[in-house]
Amino acid sequence: MRISNILGRELITIPFSTEALQANLRRLQNEWDTVQASRDRNSIYQYLAAVFETVMAWAKEGRAVNRAHRALHLRGFPLLREPEPFAAVILCTADRDKVDSRTRSKWSRVLRYAAAYKDLDEPLLDFIKRKGGINECASRYARRLGRSQSKT
Amino acid sequence: MKITLDKILTEYADQVYEAARLRRNGVQTASELVSATMLAELEAIGDAMRYLNSDGKIAWKATPQLRDYLMDLELDSEADLEDF
Repeated sequence: MRISNILGRELITIPFSTEALQANLRRLQNEWDTVQASRDRNSIYQYLAAVFETVMAWAKEGRAVNRAHRALHLRGFPLLREPEPFAAVILCTADRDKVDSRTRSKWSRVLRYAAAYKDLDEPLLDFIKRKGGINECASRYARRLGRSQSKT
Repeated sequence: MKITLDKILTEYADQVYEAARLRRNGVQTASELVSATMLAELEAIGDAMRYLNSDGKIAWKATPQLRDYLMDLELDSEADLEDF
């Protein structure tokens, strides 16, 4: 725990332990299991929203790539120098037999598109539907942001 | 930095802070420090999570795991009350 006092302002940084990372990944795996058990065709959005929420908090702390790297390491995946955080978290928490690399890449593009254009208080489901659905959001990302490759 | 907590975690933090205050025999314990320690522990066991709130700031909330646990407790206590 880091506490300092600069000009009377207290700063508290709550460390993100390996146990915390494991707990985050377990929670997302549970969301994935819930999606698998559901017949609701919108249930995938619940999982994507949970991944989005997790990575956006990591990104706000400037640690998304670092924590994605740690997650891949924890799960025994080959390490990339600079993993894309959404794709890495999906790889670590969704069933690889059901989510192939193309789907993972598409969902990652959708979430990066939402990270760039969604208002903070708009639910992810509403945003994606308003923008034409998962496939359309992935295409929009490729058209608007794909070349610049802005990192989360 | 002010730590922003949801209702469940605020109640937890109040209890933990009160317990820490009683243990310290009058020595002041910063409530933010108590909250931070509590959150680190709850996050490690999967009961609390950080998220980006609608103001774009990091805030904390109870995870579905903790919410389910509290819901079970509530249902159990209601059932006990009915049996009584």
